[in-house]
Amino acid sequence: MQEVTAPPRVVPEPQPKKYKSSSELKKRLWRNKLLYVMLIPGVLYFIIFKYLPMYGLIISFQDYKPYQGITGSEWVGMKHFSRLFTEPDFLNILANTLILFGMNILIYFPIPIILALMLNELRGTFFKRFFQTLVYLPHFMSWVIVVSISFVMVTMDGGIINELLAYFGFAKINFLLSPGWFRPMYILQVIWREAGWGTIIYLASIAAIDPGLYEASRMDGAGRLRQVWHITLPAIRGVIITLFILKIGSVLDLGFEHVYLLLNSMNREVAEIIDTYVYTAGLRQGQFSYSTAIGFFKSIVGLIMVMTVNKVSKKIGEEGVY
Amino acid sequence: MTKKSFTLLLSSLLTLSMLSACGGNNNKEAAATKDPGASTGTNTTATTDSATAEPEKPTEIKIMLPLNTTDTPPDTIKNEVEKLTNTKLTYQFFPADTYEEKLNSSFATGSLPQVTYLKNQTTFLQMKEAIKDGQFWEIGPLLSEFPNLNKLKPEILNNTKVDGKLYTLYIGRPLARQGIIYRKDWADKLGLKAPANTEELFAMAKAFTEQDPDGNGKKDTIGVVDRNELVYGAFKTVSSWFGTPNNWAEKDGQLAPEFTFPQYIDTMDFFKKLREGGYMNQDFAATSKTDAVNMFTSGKAGLYIGGSMQDIDSLNKDLIKNVPDAVLDTHSMVAGADGKFAQWMIPGYNNVVLFPKSAVKDEAELKKILKFFDYMMTPEVSNLMYWGIEGTHYTVVDGKAKATDNKELIEREVKGFKDSVIGEYETNGMYQSLNVLPGRIHAEELVLENVKYGVADPTAALDSATYTSKGVELQQIIADATYKYMYGQLDKAGFEKEVENWKSRGGAKIIEEYNAAYKK
Repeated sequence: MQEVTAPPRVVPEPQPKKYKSSSELKKRLWRNKLLYVMLIPGVLYFIIFKYLPMYGLIISFQDYKPYQGITGSEWVGMKHFSRLFTEPDFLNILANTLILFGMNILIYFPIPIILALMLNELRGTFFKRFFQTLVYLPHFMSWVIVVSISFVMVTMDGGIINELLAYFGFAKINFLLSPGWFRPMYILQVIWREAGWGTIIYLASIAAIDPGLYEASRMDGAGRLRQVWHITLPAIRGVIITLFILKIGSVLDLGFEHVYLLLNSMNREVAEIIDTYVYTAGLRQGQFSYSTAIGFFKSIVGLIMVMTVNKVSKKIGEEGVY
Repeated sequence: MTKKSFTLLLSSLLTLSMLSACGGNNNKEAAATKDPGASTGTNTTATTDSATAEPEKPTEIKIMLPLNTTDTPPDTIKNEVEKLTNTKLTYQFFPADTYEEKLNSSFATGSLPQVTYLKNQTTFLQMKEAIKDGQFWEIGPLLSEFPNLNKLKPEILNNTKVDGKLYTLYIGRPLARQGIIYRKDWADKLGLKAPANTEELFAMAKAFTEQDPDGNGKKDTIGVVDRNELVYGAFKTVSSWFGTPNNWAEKDGQLAPEFTFPQYIDTMDFFKKLREGGYMNQDFAATSKTDAVNMFTSGKAGLYIGGSMQDIDSLNKDLIKNVPDAVLDTHSMVAGADGKFAQWMIPGYNNVVLFPKSAVKDEAELKKILKFFDYMMTPEVSNLMYWGIEGTHYTVVDGKAKATDNKELIEREVKGFKDSVIGEYETNGMYQSLNVLPGRIHAEELVLENVKYGVADPTAALDSATYTSKGVELQQIIADATYKYMYGQLDKAGFEKEVENWKSRGGAKIIEEYNAAYKK
């Protein structure tokens, strides 16, 4: 039973590293010219929209003034970074960001997998499709709508949940304004909006599993749960790990809009995250250099996390993302 | 970048040559110039005195401004304005929602047009540094040459000065239009009069909550509806009634921020009591403006405080859809504990216009542009831009303008220009609006009455470098503490600790800087 393995992965054919002569290389290039032409838009996209803007990171080491431009602004070295690290709220903001991120990984991340496994067990394509559509539709609603719907449901001024609590004789709960309820509300909203959408890739990789494996295991007397445990899960393990690493990369990206909408004066101590701080301290106040420095810091943390997880996953014998 | 500046150079050269050609034509009147040495030689003709009979070439002006509707207006109004002012105008409308972005990027690339409208006081504050850096033309010394611009109110011009110099023209707004919009039908039913002081205001909120004013036998109404905004919500307005200064006031011979005054604490106690009694919406610290307005127009709440009393028209329109026999009225004369009236005042403008040096090459060109604004402050042009074309967009009844019932037409063709009219009706002579709703007529009276008791912000024309760079961030500390106090999570000592926190993180410097500027 245990020897059931993941479906064979496509191993890229080893490319010859050196060409005997440059004419041969030219020939090869020429032969695949259309492929290279097709590559151009993609490469241009990355150069123009991803690499050129990195030039702008320079301003995090300057006191950037728009009318003087990058060339004219004064250099201040690490001033903005040291301001960030010495800001009294910095540790709190970083901690909030990491806690929300941890909740995303521990609570949200497994849910699409479980949901995909459950959807996969549904018999009948119609039901499968129907429920899948049903769970991924919320993804198309903007955060404004998601947060507004929750607002209407949980407000103390006639929200249905508080009315029910009152009806059954419990005390009303101030969900919107108490620091204790911010995190549960946040993660529930993430799950409600994103869980269905997250199942798509898992369902696709489940669909790629050879049905023969299931047949064989049924012959050996495996029940439904055993099949899930020994066939489906190992088969999508690679996908899970890849998605996990990608998720780690966006470690400090928790969705500015979502948190900003939930944020208010009463729950700021748990709700202020790096993104919302960039907005209030940086953009609303026009401190371009400072906000760029924060963004820079964020990217570096993300990069380090991805590299670490990638390394770990390779160590334990899985494929990384690169 | 280089390409852009090159085109910019070319086009400015072109404009310059055209202007000098233009100047050459009218050179006969050199005597009118006040300071001939300052201008560039070819342009000694100041455009002040246009007694000349010769037809002038229309001045070309590019104008950038925020648009508060969805579509760019057609040229109907623009063409008329051009005829009246002898100009060739190019309007660049950008959606108000993303206007700051447009403003910042245009500024950063040096492509602001000759006439640049900002968006509001906040964008003006952010531009101050660049203004001090000499990126925009100073217009103060020139104003006296323009008879109409010269009518602009000095006290409001004063509020828009940067380092004591005037760089901007302003779009006027009433100084004190905040007050209460309330359910008069409820008050009548319960035998209540408009609240004369803060105690009666509290009593009214309580009665509206407890005495079933809508008569449906259920306890489903509340008194005050407020939102997550301390300035434009109810707090600031009510705090002025309690006698709290407008942002800053003198205390022991020094300027001190409002939240160090005992009246500020009194205001917080007032809202704390309202909330604890259930006489206002419990979630006000998380309620958006839309939600607050909806709560009021659905007939659930009886008092809408803060905001502009002139909003009664739109509130009334939505309310009578839900509650057909509702009657609204406005009120603002609420006395504090000492029996005195006081009203919070804004600096009297909601937007300003700047003239970037990168686009306006010399003083002669600046004067030509100012001349256009001088025209704009005549009744003909301001009416045209504010109300539209008489007979099409509005009619005159009893010397006042009555807008057509076709609101879409006005939105489409007039609104874009309406928001750019300099000054106010007292200075530019345009028609006032004809009001029919009694509450609105009352509001207009109160707006005038309010000014008599208006409390000005002494720092409106002062500068503090720390405030410009960190003020918004620091203000958050106070806002958070204020809400926590009103929700009972901070006591007086806790609130004062937060004030100390504000001071230690830059507030002390702000106090110092304002006081230094104040003494000057």
